[in-house]
Amino acid sequence: MKVTYSFVLLLIIGVQLYAQQEDFDWIQDSVWNEQMEDVIVTGQINPQSVKESIYEVKVINRSTIENLAANNLADVLNQSLNINIVPNAQTGKSSVEMFGLDGQYFKILIDNIPMVNDEGMGNMADLTQINIDDIERIEIVEGAMGVEYGANAVSGVINIITKKSSENNWEITPYIQEETIGKEYNVTDQGRHIQSIRIGKNINKNWYANAIFTRNNFNGFLNQQQGKNHPFNDGLRGHEWLPKLQNNLKALLNYRGKFNFFYKFEYFDEEVNRYSRQVRSNYNPATQTSNPTASDDNFFSERYIHHINLNGKVFKQSKFDVSISYQQQKRDVEQFNYRILAGERFNIQRTEFESRRVFFSRGTLNNFVPWEKVKLQTGYELNLINGFASPMSNPLGGDQINRRLDAYDFFTTAEIRATSRLSFRPGARLMLTNQFDPLIAASFTTKYLFPNGWEIRGILGTAPRVPNYDELYTFFVDSNHDVRGNENLSPETGTSTFLHLKRKFWLNNDETKWQVKFSSWYIRVKDRIELTVINDMPLQYQFNNIDLFRTWGIENSHSFQHKNFNLNLGISVQGVSQQLDSRDFDDDFLYRLQANTNINYRIPKWDTTFSLFYNYNGPQFQFVQRQNEDGETELVRGKLESFAWFDASIRKQFINKRLDLTLGARNLMNIKQVNTTATEGGAHNDAARSLLLGYGRSFFLRIQYNLNF
Amino acid sequence: MRNYKLLIHFFLIGILLTACSSDDDNASTVEFVVAFEQPSIQLSNDLQSREVQLMFSRPAPQNGTLNIQINSDSSVYDEDFSTFPEAVENQLELSFEAGETNTNFTFEQLTQVLEGEEKSIEFEITEVSIPNTVFSGNTFLTVNLSESAALGGSFEAEVGGPNQPNQVFINLSGQQQTVVSRDAWDLAFYSGNKNRVILNYSTQMAVGKTEFTNLAEVNQATVETLIPQIAIGNFNPENMVFVDEPSGDLNQTAMDEVSSNPEENHVYILNLGNEIGTDTPQPGSVAVSGVARGYLKIRVLLEGDQYLLQYADLNATEFNEVSIPKSSGFNHTFFNLNQQSIVQVEPEKHQWDLNFTVFTNEIPNAGSYMFTDFILTNRHGGTKAYQVNTDELSYSEFTYENVDPAKFSNDQRTIGSNWRQGGGPGQAPSLFEDRFFILQDTQENVYKLRFSALLSETGERGFPAFEYQLLN
Repeated sequence: MKVTYSFVLLLIIGVQLYAQQEDFDWIQDSVWNEQMEDVIVTGQINPQSVKESIYEVKVINRSTIENLAANNLADVLNQSLNINIVPNAQTGKSSVEMFGLDGQYFKILIDNIPMVNDEGMGNMADLTQINIDDIERIEIVEGAMGVEYGANAVSGVINIITKKSSENNWEITPYIQEETIGKEYNVTDQGRHIQSIRIGKNINKNWYANAIFTRNNFNGFLNQQQGKNHPFNDGLRGHEWLPKLQNNLKALLNYRGKFNFFYKFEYFDEEVNRYSRQVRSNYNPATQTSNPTASDDNFFSERYIHHINLNGKVFKQSKFDVSISYQQQKRDVEQFNYRILAGERFNIQRTEFESRRVFFSRGTLNNFVPWEKVKLQTGYELNLINGFASPMSNPLGGDQINRRLDAYDFFTTAEIRATSRLSFRPGARLMLTNQFDPLIAASFTTKYLFPNGWEIRGILGTAPRVPNYDELYTFFVDSNHDVRGNENLSPETGTSTFLHLKRKFWLNNDETKWQVKFSSWYIRVKDRIELTVINDMPLQYQFNNIDLFRTWGIENSHSFQHKNFNLNLGISVQGVSQQLDSRDFDDDFLYRLQANTNINYRIPKWDTTFSLFYNYNGPQFQFVQRQNEDGETELVRGKLESFAWFDASIRKQFINKRLDLTLGARNLMNIKQVNTTATEGGAHNDAARSLLLGYGRSFFLRIQYNLNF
Repeated sequence: MRNYKLLIHFFLIGILLTACSSDDDNASTVEFVVAFEQPSIQLSNDLQSREVQLMFSRPAPQNGTLNIQINSDSSVYDEDFSTFPEAVENQLELSFEAGETNTNFTFEQLTQVLEGEEKSIEFEITEVSIPNTVFSGNTFLTVNLSESAALGGSFEAEVGGPNQPNQVFINLSGQQQTVVSRDAWDLAFYSGNKNRVILNYSTQMAVGKTEFTNLAEVNQATVETLIPQIAIGNFNPENMVFVDEPSGDLNQTAMDEVSSNPEENHVYILNLGNEIGTDTPQPGSVAVSGVARGYLKIRVLLEGDQYLLQYADLNATEFNEVSIPKSSGFNHTFFNLNQQSIVQVEPEKHQWDLNFTVFTNEIPNAGSYMFTDFILTNRHGGTKAYQVNTDELSYSEFTYENVDPAKFSNDQRTIGSNWRQGGGPGQAPSLFEDRFFILQDTQENVYKLRFSALLSETGERGFPAFEYQLLN
């Protein structure tokens, strides 16, 4: 028992000692408390505890990630409230929705700087491409964070903090993970197979280095499909979920001394195979034989990230922190024809599909005025983005796009401690770009600690969303259609208000801790870009800034800890209203209930942890246009049926914690397709009747070896 | 020490799993088959030699030979007909080389067949030197020396790829294909007992009636509000008045019946649609429409039993005038406004059954819409058709007994786009393999007809193919 506690304690303190570096001013409440009181950095002037933070930050820590056997971000986020993972069977990507807004409205950061992907910088990330094997924790801040993180941080940010230290001289950690995909598994071409090794080394007192390599082979989900060698045109060729193979190499060099410095490198590649469902039988009536062919695509993504960070003290009390990063991601498409019977590829053509090359730098100077009650931070952010999009990347078509977006941002924010209980944090950011008029983001945050232990936080923030390439440059004009992008679009404006009230209670002589939290929010996106009819005769469509999106909600969450038992419970109700000036609309708020719980029980004697994760998503409503029996268009309330994610695992350590085994199940409710009437059809296709969300109940086994000396 | 061993084991497992996950490619392939391209050939009694094609199901794996047995009760080798290479004791031997995908021989008719006499010769593939050759498909060929309806066969309609530049007229019984550039004509003047004019349905044309009967009174200003409405594909259900009724019903053309009373013949604004596209689209897509061709004002009158066409640029005060006679034996007389001349487009009215073309169809509640890979039946010539789904009866099982004459429709769109799946943004169109069509031609031959391709082997649009078989 005792050994375990001190081990956990050591781990946490070790981590925190590093992560904090300075300002180590949090109060030790109890042994249990440390596990909760992570030190966070997202949106902070100086790293500090959750309690100290003026923002409300949700933390997903390492042990949760390991209990979920999560390898990438998509594996872990579907257990969070207000976040929905949306897999795309067509592209193999998994995008995310936060508060009903898609991936264009929030940012994914790694160590406080945005991460490139082939469609954007921080935005539009494919969650399955973000490996989390080397991370310490995930911090989620909800609401507009335009001052801290610039454009497109409208619904929130997800900040992934990597591990940068170790308490051992050497740490060698290989693991393999074998996973079924639904009922599909074998060692060759079904299931998911992960192999990984991480090596960490404390070179001396100042220097630490690590490297990690992970190979993730996801063989796709067939379901009723028959794979690439199915020769008939019955819609059964290919996969339900596209197979993908990922390799990820990351390295870190960290220096701690008078100044702190790190250099991080990441290389990532991915191959996604899309085998067409359509088969050309090439039937030869003369010989009555078929030599079926299909047109298939392989997508190759490649990402490089270099990140240098330097931070330390200048002029006694001032702190600086500068990150410089060069990142690029490229997605190529290899189009080819496949003779199914002969297994022969021909007419192979490889072209660049889309890419982003980014030079990024962010620098801050803190506490440069020696006031005790006011901490000032001022900084800059530089984003030089070179984007490329091939005509193929736009479903509607258009020309090849080569576009440079340069943004020069300056921001300043202050944390004012009016009293020991009351603090304020105003902030503003000026964004200058080569494309749009100057933009301003502002925020104002207040925290008050009541004497009886309740904490209240009010957070007001704004952030713009910059139009995407499709909105700017689509050009789809033929005798039947006229759909055009609009280069004169202005960015959308997002505003959010959050209110959080929480308190911790200690019961049973401090053996039991209970934290309760109430939150409420309101997010508004003005000048939303939507495809609109600009001319009836002839019919012409163009993207324009006309719509309004509003969402509000309430959330109540509880966290219990009693000895080795942990329980988290959350429930939220969210309403979304969309005002679509582009057509007949109904701006009623439509509500959805979400609830999640996770239970964690550890038996120290056996070195065993039991975990359950459950996330319920109530029915979701949306107004859709339908044609009624008389052929008239009418607005109806479509519905996506409710569904739940239920995961469970048992983790046991052997041989003095050297061997770490996790056995578990994902998606115990066996969710695959969820029925929906909330989608619209197009001129060429009927509305989808179900939404593909999961691949059914699956099982995993993870074996990790921890060699530390 | 134990730990290191464990670590080694661990890696071995990892390597093992990695090594196993290489692709297992299947080696099976198409069987080798040699067959005649068509099951029958009709010679029109003209004593010309004719090449007979034999097709291989895949490139020949090695050099080889094949033997063809010649049988005929009514004709004699070297008297009525001969072949090259020559047959020895009614056995014809052909050789081919590795990699070839077809071979052929020449058939020559030596004597004229008398009126009423029926002469035919049957060829049968009896031996192929390639091991494991499968005998399948057209192993027999009937050559009819006298004129008769084709027993069946197959066609690859030369639509011309993703720009779909051609109209292809197919004569099933005569096994003939006529290819015409689809912009070769603009207006077609009906040759039958009605005085009707139709628009070229393949170049996105539309026509709108003005209140005027005098061309000189019409200019940009006087028809300003009308002009933007005269278009297809704008998803306005009302726009069907600007195009001909897609079923081919001549009583519902966009332009009124031409009257013998000149006062009743209004001036029309003609949207000339688009030129043939020239872009190369993504595989599976089409690029059929090019540059817009602008507008003309036109007026059609009668001059005895001829049409009189007047036309001019919108703002012109002068106009061109041309007499257009009806063409006996043809459905229409075709006129090209650019060349200002009458042109030959369709074969004679009883000499075609199908027309592969781009077409202006109607989407219910959304108005006119341009369809590609469209197939018209020869309504005015008398061709009729209907669709059979394979869950009722399969193509091979369907015989003449199963023909239901009540189901025949004269709507020229009966095949239309019903043989293929639509497609749209992000979704390639494809062939429907769950249906076939029954067609009665202008000479009352009844054929069953099944489509075998919409795309080329490599997935480009504009390469349709079908097979057909005589039922009666």
